[in-house]
Amino acid sequence: MEDKAVIVQDLVKEYPRVKALDGVSFSVDKGEIFGLLGPNGAGKTTMIRVLLTLIKPTSGKTLIYDIDTARNSQEVRSICGYVPQDVSADGDLTAYENVLIYSKLYAMPRKERKERINQVLEYLELTNRANDMVNTFSGGMMRRLEIAQALVNRPRVLFLDEPSIGLDPNARRIIWDLIKKLRNEFGTTIFMTTHDMNEADVLCDRIGIMNRGHLATLDKPSELKSSVGGDIISITSGNRNCYSKLVELGYSTITNTADGRCDLVVKNGETLIPQLLDSLKTAGIQVESVSLKKPNLDDVFLKYTGARIEEGDTFADTRRTRRVFTRLTK
Amino acid sequence: MNVLKTMGKFFYNAFTIAELEVRKIRHDQTQIWMRMVQPALWLIIYGETMSKLNAMNSSIPSGLTYLQFMTPGVLAQSALFVAIFFGINVVWERDLGLLNKLLSTPASRSSIILGKALSAGVRGILQSIAIVILALILRIHLILNPVHLAGVFLIVILLGMCFSCVSMALASIFRTRERMMGIGQAITMPLFFASSAIYPLAIMPSWIQPFARINPLTYVVDALRGLLATGNLASLPIDIFAIALATVVFLILASLGLKRMVS
Repeated sequence: MEDKAVIVQDLVKEYPRVKALDGVSFSVDKGEIFGLLGPNGAGKTTMIRVLLTLIKPTSGKTLIYDIDTARNSQEVRSICGYVPQDVSADGDLTAYENVLIYSKLYAMPRKERKERINQVLEYLELTNRANDMVNTFSGGMMRRLEIAQALVNRPRVLFLDEPSIGLDPNARRIIWDLIKKLRNEFGTTIFMTTHDMNEADVLCDRIGIMNRGHLATLDKPSELKSSVGGDIISITSGNRNCYSKLVELGYSTITNTADGRCDLVVKNGETLIPQLLDSLKTAGIQVESVSLKKPNLDDVFLKYTGARIEEGDTFADTRRTRRVFTRLTK
Repeated sequence: MNVLKTMGKFFYNAFTIAELEVRKIRHDQTQIWMRMVQPALWLIIYGETMSKLNAMNSSIPSGLTYLQFMTPGVLAQSALFVAIFFGINVVWERDLGLLNKLLSTPASRSSIILGKALSAGVRGILQSIAIVILALILRIHLILNPVHLAGVFLIVILLGMCFSCVSMALASIFRTRERMMGIGQAITMPLFFASSAIYPLAIMPSWIQPFARINPLTYVVDALRGLLATGNLASLPIDIFAIALATVVFLILASLGLKRMVS
């Protein structure tokens, strides 16, 4: 128990119409970058909100640094930092003021306050914009400020809900570097959610894949990828018998789409392709295209949930909110 | 000792939330000026017109002009308008993510609500300063000794707190900005008309009078009128008690509602 930052046991959260969390159990090590990956509505945000005592679970138990979140919610909140996926910096204040308010709410001693705020702003490279109004900030700067707010009390666990959502690739890279730096320099445990495969792959030590309130699997990205079983060959053919022929030949197919594409999982794909094409030709099946791909997290996701991850409503909503916000504050 | 510490923290957090609001107002003062337009119209146009009515003049306390009678009512109304739409801010902050982030700090829910309510009170104070200045410009004679003005500020803070809590409690039920706009419109006028803000209770239709008596705004107007116009403070303790009671009740309702807001 001692090396665990977060422990979740049989967590259930039921809403009138849906079960947002349906018996989830896992734990996060101290100093780990842990990611929950899944499509929208998988229960990732609900999970974070339960851990931060923003909503009460229907049943189950959660501990953060051995503190029971149900029993001692204020203590839990005082050792955590939270960056919600929506805009959470106040556009009508300066960057300094935004951090100041949070330093006060986290009951930071008056003497240390100023120094600490300046430190955190410097860490996030916002010092030269400290006294500018936040509604003049770019999306990336806004995100950095939001992280500054969450860092000012030096949290042991930092919760990041979709940290790079709605950011351009450059800003996204900066945020990623920052997250890694935080863990490496201060040993902060990072608990993040994302629906971006690449982000999860680049950042996380371990990834839990969530789908419809369940934790489908949990492991290191490399292990997850090798669990797919090898390389993936995609074959498209106009011939409908292609799929059944492949099964007949003894290949394990993971998908067979309506447009005539079959995905096979194989070892040593490069050497297998010529052989595969020969067998299909002998069987009288015309192949239109072949492609070989090393497995990525998308395939892992497909394997464990039977679906491809897609951008759903919440993402679009968030982007809209961010846009509306920028428009209103300009 | 522990209780004191918890209380201290509670109020510190509430004042921090209010500080946030004050800082916002400091950065952008345009809305203070915008909000002076409506009371000015009430006093200049409505007030001047109505003061020509005999029925009105004979029913207000003797020794007062109608404008003197009405100014405290207009003050109460303008502070009420600020407070009653306060729930929209909270819905807006929830939609953005600000509210979730606030709730993830160690500050308790009720201290956050109290802080928001105080913010509405602060806006009310600015409003009352503006109206007193307006009254001076229009040469409406008011009692302006410092003790009375302090009393006015106290009443206005309570007014802002009370009705912003009503608004936040409603926001937790109705949950969208559009609906809150409608709700705000739907309740301000009844609250305003069913009070003694712009005419004495005595000449109002008899069926509204019972409503006026349970309307917190009636007590607010009565207190403000005593402090600013008549100088008669006999009913002030009852008024303050009634307003404070309503404020506490709605503060509790709004705190309970906050949980519903975010789930």
